[in-house]
Amino acid sequence: MLDKLFYKEKGLFLQSLHPLAALTYLGTLLVLALAFTNPLYLLGILLVVALAIRAADGLEAWESYLKIALFMMVLVMIINPLVVHAGKTVIWQGPHIPVFGRLTVSLEAICYGAAMSVRLLDIISVFCLYNLIVHPDKALNLFSRFAGKSVLVISLATRMFPAMVREMENIRSVQQMRGVDFRKGSAKEKVGKYSSLVNILLLSSLEDSLEIAESMQARAFGSGPRTCYSRNLWRPRDTLFLSGSACALGAGIWGLLHGFGSYTFYPQLDYLISGPGTVALLLIVLFSLSIPVLIGWGCGRWHYLKSKI
Amino acid sequence: MSIKEGEFVLVAGASGSGKSSLARVLSGLIPDFYGGRFGGKVYFQEKEMRAIDRRKLARQVGMVFQDPEKQLVMNGVEAEIAFGLENLGLPQKEMFRRVAEVISFLGLTELRQEFTANLSGGQKQKLVLAAVLAMQPRVLVLDEPTSQLDPVAAEDFFNLVKRLNEEMGFTIILIEQRLERCFHLADRVVIMEGGRVVQDGAPDQAARWAAGSGLSLIPPVARFFSVLGFASLPVTVKEGRRQLGQLLSGRPLSGGPDLRKAPASSSAGQTPLLEVKNLWFTYPNGREALQDINLKVSAGEFVAILGENGSGKSTLLKNMVGLLQPGRGRVLIKGSDMSKNRGWHPGRLVAYLSQNPNDYLFQDTVEDELLFTMKNFGMEDDGIVDGLLKELQIGRHRRVNPRDLSSGERQRVALASVLVTRPELLVLDEPTRGLDYRLKAGLGSFLAGRAAAGAGVVLVTHDVEFAAEYASRVVMMFAGRIVSEGTRHETLGQSVFYSTQIGKLCRGLCDGILTFDEAVERIGPLLSGITVARAGTLK
Repeated sequence: MLDKLFYKEKGLFLQSLHPLAALTYLGTLLVLALAFTNPLYLLGILLVVALAIRAADGLEAWESYLKIALFMMVLVMIINPLVVHAGKTVIWQGPHIPVFGRLTVSLEAICYGAAMSVRLLDIISVFCLYNLIVHPDKALNLFSRFAGKSVLVISLATRMFPAMVREMENIRSVQQMRGVDFRKGSAKEKVGKYSSLVNILLLSSLEDSLEIAESMQARAFGSGPRTCYSRNLWRPRDTLFLSGSACALGAGIWGLLHGFGSYTFYPQLDYLISGPGTVALLLIVLFSLSIPVLIGWGCGRWHYLKSKI
Repeated sequence: MSIKEGEFVLVAGASGSGKSSLARVLSGLIPDFYGGRFGGKVYFQEKEMRAIDRRKLARQVGMVFQDPEKQLVMNGVEAEIAFGLENLGLPQKEMFRRVAEVISFLGLTELRQEFTANLSGGQKQKLVLAAVLAMQPRVLVLDEPTSQLDPVAAEDFFNLVKRLNEEMGFTIILIEQRLERCFHLADRVVIMEGGRVVQDGAPDQAARWAAGSGLSLIPPVARFFSVLGFASLPVTVKEGRRQLGQLLSGRPLSGGPDLRKAPASSSAGQTPLLEVKNLWFTYPNGREALQDINLKVSAGEFVAILGENGSGKSTLLKNMVGLLQPGRGRVLIKGSDMSKNRGWHPGRLVAYLSQNPNDYLFQDTVEDELLFTMKNFGMEDDGIVDGLLKELQIGRHRRVNPRDLSSGERQRVALASVLVTRPELLVLDEPTRGLDYRLKAGLGSFLAGRAAAGAGVVLVTHDVEFAAEYASRVVMMFAGRIVSEGTRHETLGQSVFYSTQIGKLCRGLCDGILTFDEAVERIGPLLSGITVARAGTLK
């Protein structure tokens, strides 16, 4: 069930990107999602990410992310109006509650909560997209030139993780058959039962680590300076996408400095569109961000384009 | 000892005889990785090994270890192959070339983009070999490379090693326990005992020596002919069949195939110990792992389940012991349905030994491991701890930390820790994996003893020889279904591929023979005029 959350090589256009281009693109999306406060901009980014996810054949995976995201969104939308009293347009007043004071729900707080939950959805979706289009080894490879050892540790850890989950399941079965009932007992007893599971896992992992070290030693690890194997290719498309990301980021920052893209919720809601500039900038940013989606779509249709880019 | 270039040396011996240490000495890991006290010197091409720079040595000697799971470092196949090359500090261009060469030589092209976690055991071990080969060593040291693989993957691996030796001229030093698969590949067989080399020579010479000294280290075919007193010992089924065919030509075959009938089930009227009725099981990912399984196990029966990886054997065991709940159908233990009786714990009645004994061990002493299970079931020690420790020959390790024991001993501790409840049904998942012939024989007779004492024993194994030797009934599974079931003669005797080496030797010449003892008993008398040594003297 969990495997749809992990990267799978499907030979898709978006998976063929150089990790630098892909990570810059994803980074831009993330930064902009965090920087913009205008709900229109946040929705725009969501649209782009959704299209990209669709292009990466990941709607099914996105669904699993959405389930978690929706729950958190609802939580944000409920809690924010209850605890924030900054809005002027009060639409409901409740009873007095000790710590929170008087319960008031304002229109502004509801809108702010909604906007923030869209931002949350943006961020979660960007991570979903990352898992869909970036091979973890390729991403690590990018950094291994200047942080070889840390990258190796991360790689070992990610490799071990699924193996440890499986191992944990086995140990649990074994303990169950030896008469340990994980459902019964007080909280303290349960902690004891689970800690012995972890204990076994750690003991076995420690033993295994020695064998891995041995295998690494036999393959000359640490015998001198390492080089770095990389098969990443830089294609024209990577240049294009990198400039697209740069353009979106540049335009976004310029816009934020000049008052576009940000939005004031409190004490009273601002106009969503404060002039033609807001729309123009939004279009520029969205267009720059959707270059990968557009090109990917084009490449699927015209072989000529694919061979040239 | 000295090893010439291009030689294929097989190192055999019981667990703890020093085979693995020898392999580590030859690859330079001892003493530099392990430390310890040492004397003597190892030379590689007339240069003392310790004086050779580690980088240079790694380009000369490559080593593959037992468990592929514990040798892989990277996430992707290609990155794994390149790992050693990066360590050697090779330039990009050279790495590209070598990775490409190795991938095409080993036929890994399809897996190039795959994650290592998604590979099968055999593919993983092939990848480990690829990663070592990419470093272009001239000597390959293989330390029981197939002990964690199923027979098909093991065969595959050995064929590859043979090609490397014959076509590419690699010098191969292979440490192995499954001798029937690799004995004939070697140019030279070295037998070790108690840390010493006790025999060193050509395979047939080694076979004669081992037969003479009473070790069952050699393949069953060679052992069979040596017991019958032949001077030249065949080491493959092909040679053996030729020899046996010549001997038997013109001689009458007594009685024809003697399909020994299973003893009429004494419990015909009683409820069987374990009954699996129309069992279906589907994993949450939608894979239908078990389809319409029907199986009965009576008290006193020893049932072996054979089948390739992924055929549903382990899933069936987990359903039997209640770790998994059937999708459809029922599992009855002594007539009561486990899934309906939620308050009842099967652990008292059913002992389950998983594949990895390390999953059991976490107490400070061996004794505590046994007492832990008893405490969970609220039982008192009435002398069963003493009895079990003695019976499994781990009594002298009573106060030792189980993690300090060898893998064979660990397995017996794990077994003891589930047997303390005096279970009536023993369920074991691949207990023979990684055991040497001596430990296997010990385990086999222990389990057979339990069955004789009235317990039901069900185990999954890849080891056909083991199943033929000890099991009273054999079940074969394929793709989630039982395809064949019956006494070992009914199932293994009819199979061409899932048969013992002796079975393959006698097929068509003298049917109905599966084990070494049967062969000696049946064929021995036919070969009159030839001195027949009794099988018993060599056990």
